[in-house]
Amino acid sequence: MNKVKTIEDVIVNVARIIIDELMFEDVTPETFDPEIDLVDEVGIDSMDLATVALVIQDEYGIRIDEDDYPKLTNIRLIAEYIHNRL
Amino acid sequence: MRTHWKFSDILSDPEIRSRWQRVKKYFFLRESTYDMTNRCNIRCEGCYFYEGDKQFVSDNNDPLAWRKLMIHEKERGITFVVLAGAEPALVPELLKTCYQEIPLGAIASNGFKFIPESVGYRIHISVWGNDQTSHAIRKADRLLEKQIKNYKDDPRAVFVYTFTRGNILEIRDVAPILAENGCRFTFNMFSAPVGYAGELRHTRQTLAQTRDVMEEMLETYPENLLFSHYNIMAHTHEKGLHDLFQCSYPRMNPHEDVGLGKTFRQYRADQTWDRNAACCVPDTDCADCRHYASGSAIVTARLFRHATDPESFKAWLDYVDTYLAVWVMGYEKSRNLSRKFVEPPDRT
Repeated sequence: MNKVKTIEDVIVNVARIIIDELMFEDVTPETFDPEIDLVDEVGIDSMDLATVALVIQDEYGIRIDEDDYPKLTNIRLIAEYIHNRL
Repeated sequence: MRTHWKFSDILSDPEIRSRWQRVKKYFFLRESTYDMTNRCNIRCEGCYFYEGDKQFVSDNNDPLAWRKLMIHEKERGITFVVLAGAEPALVPELLKTCYQEIPLGAIASNGFKFIPESVGYRIHISVWGNDQTSHAIRKADRLLEKQIKNYKDDPRAVFVYTFTRGNILEIRDVAPILAENGCRFTFNMFSAPVGYAGELRHTRQTLAQTRDVMEEMLETYPENLLFSHYNIMAHTHEKGLHDLFQCSYPRMNPHEDVGLGKTFRQYRADQTWDRNAACCVPDTDCADCRHYASGSAIVTARLFRHATDPESFKAWLDYVDTYLAVWVMGYEKSRNLSRKFVEPPDRT
């Protein structure tokens, strides 16, 4: 059972998931800017987002609607989306 | 029976996890397509290129202009180019220029003219039936023999047999010849251009017949045929690809935030492009679209919908594995994980 509670904790955990799943090497969960645009600035694409969404669903036991992907453009937005459903 | 699977549970199967890790490495591919010239050395009935408006633009034959375009495309994040229409083999210098800038890609060719080995892209060679049919539709004598002579033992080559309403059983003539010559092949489905009402268009009956024959070929030529049961299911379904999977090419996708809707462009031979016409084979009737090229983007993009249970995910992995083997130089096809006809997932 996931025990993460605060939005800041969720942000760090989402950053960790992204780093692990997409194999980023030059950033840590703590240093990953939660405001950076994942598509335009980091360069991740729909397949990467789908992969991250699947892992988030598993970890938090929530459902992410496929149509919501385009809105989830940075870590803070993803974390808020999760936090609102916990 | 279990109804809800976590993604991590699906991946707990070592065979699935291994295949997932293998294909995931290629998620960096971002495609766009380019008409390299308006010229062709044959004229085929039902040819998409000569059905629409893009045949009327002027060729841009300047290698420098193509180099600049490729540099610009790299800056946009494009990592994979598909060079097509009308016959790219007629402009080898331009192909070389593209290859020097973006080294991953594929060329759609009729195979009549050899493309120099210095162009290291996959080469898809179109086959439309046996010699008799090929002569009737393409006005070309002994085309298959010439195609094989040009590309036998060429690691770039994949022969693409297009099933029309009238040539379904002819694959039984063509496949043994390809296999005897060590050629790899895959399947395409004729998809009607807008307004086309000719005799090549599939019916419910011919889709079903094609499905049976494709399965027969998969059983008979597993070493040569790059395909899977899920490819068969997706491309011979009564519903077209858009109905099944919701096409993500810009022509049918208003979203410009991420994915193909954001990055995909279809450049005409004069290097212009139009978002409203942008898809892998413009001028196709979207309701009838079962192209191998469109499926390669549309089905593969639907990872999320297939990650619902092990059978669906295995089917999707087979499709992605086939896509990579057909399109990406250096990627070898793995053994298919599924031998079942899995129904595509609901769109919701």
